[in-house]
Amino acid sequence: MQNKTMMVCRCEEVSFDELVKTASEYNCSARELKLRTRAGMGYCGGRTCRTMVDQIAHIYQPRSNNDISLKYQAPIRPVRFADLGEVKS
Amino acid sequence: MTERIMSHPILGDLPHKEKVSFTFDDQLYEAYKGESLAAALLAQGIRTLRVHEETGHPRGIYCNIGHCFECRVNINGLDGERACITPVTEGMVVKSGKALPTTVRDWRKHHGK
Amino acid sequence: MGNKVIIIGAGPAGLSAAITLAEKNIGVVVIDEYLYEGGRLLGQLYEETPNKWWNGIAESERLLARAKELNVEFSLQTSVSDLEKIDQDWVLHTNKGVFHTKQLLLATGAAESPFPIPGWTLPGVMSVGAAQVMTNVHRVKPGKRGVIIGVNVLSSAIAMELQIADVQVAAITLPAANLLTINSSNPLEVMNSLLYVSHMAPSPLIKIGSKFMKNEILKKLGIRFYPKDGVKMWGIPIMLRKAVIEIVGKDQVEGVVLATVNIDGSIVPGSEKRIDVDFVCIAGGLYPLAELASLAGCPFHYIEQLGGFVPLHNEQMETNLTGLHVAGNITGIEGAKVALAQGKVAALTIASKLGASVTQIDIQQAIENVETTRANAHIQFHPEVLVGRQKMKEIWAQTLSHTLS
Repeated sequence: MQNKTMMVCRCEEVSFDELVKTASEYNCSARELKLRTRAGMGYCGGRTCRTMVDQIAHIYQPRSNNDISLKYQAPIRPVRFADLGEVKS
Repeated sequence: MTERIMSHPILGDLPHKEKVSFTFDDQLYEAYKGESLAAALLAQGIRTLRVHEETGHPRGIYCNIGHCFECRVNINGLDGERACITPVTEGMVVKSGKALPTTVRDWRKHHGK
Repeated sequence: MGNKVIIIGAGPAGLSAAITLAEKNIGVVVIDEYLYEGGRLLGQLYEETPNKWWNGIAESERLLARAKELNVEFSLQTSVSDLEKIDQDWVLHTNKGVFHTKQLLLATGAAESPFPIPGWTLPGVMSVGAAQVMTNVHRVKPGKRGVIIGVNVLSSAIAMELQIADVQVAAITLPAANLLTINSSNPLEVMNSLLYVSHMAPSPLIKIGSKFMKNEILKKLGIRFYPKDGVKMWGIPIMLRKAVIEIVGKDQVEGVVLATVNIDGSIVPGSEKRIDVDFVCIAGGLYPLAELASLAGCPFHYIEQLGGFVPLHNEQMETNLTGLHVAGNITGIEGAKVALAQGKVAALTIASKLGASVTQIDIQQAIENVETTRANAHIQFHPEVLVGRQKMKEIWAQTLSHTLS
């Protein structure tokens, strides 16, 4: 099954075209671009695509160099409830 | 099909290591004890470790160091384990990641979103 | 455990810091999520001077043996998912339980930043670092024959490593031009970036360039007449006038579609040609992996020469948060030797706070050693890394004076 679409976010399968379209339509921040498309909100937490999502957003809105544009949220690795509750499996 | 690099002009010969066996989707495979599951599977020609939960597109290793989670599989009943940073142990039962039975994208399509 | 220093990351910066601390009789725990100690150092293999190899595995083993001799504790396969400050302690939440420490060093290194290519989600497409680890660390070939997309210092070094291991590299070539590959898809820009590092890069590729490209006109001519099938380096064609426009395959990689590009990176229509490969590497560069510093609350600054957003820090490797330090690629993308030197600085800074016999002169000498190491570096990821380091120094000074006033 060949996927011809050029993906940016592999986890959520958000394409380059969708990101560029959204960024140009809403002229939005990187964070808004992420929330609108789910790019960077999948399993890896955006580690793989964050530089690309950031770059697309900043074509339409200049970057503030003194603030991280895509905030990191805990947990930065998926956590099992068993580990959270310190239950030995 | 790929292969192991048994001898290397700078790094030398691969030291002799104990072998263990494990299953991947009910097929029996061999690994060197302690090597990563992703390496053991690739050495036996297995590249596809899961399919995307929504679209069913095949996926394999991407970053190979635990960052991207693309190689996540079910190991001994636990979902979401990274094959690239998990050492193989004797008798390990590994299952590839499957697509979800009901996907959100279908819902979007059927509801005209 | 609360009295021990915790280091997150068992790469060159973390190992060097652990050794330095342990030599001052300070207890250390090193946490890492990988299977082995060594981090990115493990995969490195290149010829520094004729017949003298930098062997990352041997270097890691040497550092690890020293650390173990000094009773440094290691907790591998340990992923940190969150950290918080509770009273005076940094509290780490991991899959192996909760860790407490008053002095924490983040040495989490870098992550690879890709560029997108249609078909890059297919099994068989991997980051160039992934291929390096598979080949040199696991000793499994990433495939029989592959293509590397992205022409830079890192990708040419890894291409050579693949070649040494008898993995065929059909080409190192450019990504197709789009908004995300503006510089890396432009033959002239790529040529320029390679020429810039000619005095320090080990690659014959660069020597080819620097010979006949002393001025702008010659550069333009050079790229215009650059052979379409590339110039060979160690037998690997470096194709600066080709770009991969698509990766093809049914369930895994079967080939790539290459097209000829003009000197501005635009595709020559009708030049598309498919070549068969069973793996593809994407070499888009590295960025500092600073997610834990962000969770801790460090201020960040975007400094292009350092590879992206870096946490605010000073030359002593302190952040502005009490008990939180950084070393290695989290502070900016550089080679392993700089990371080793930075690890030592961070460790001496921590040791002096813990009352060990460390003088300001010791710390100053260690800082100077970072600078010397940087000046002599074999591989420079960004030609203007010094400018980046200077920027951070200025921002630190400004922030500090602001806080004091």
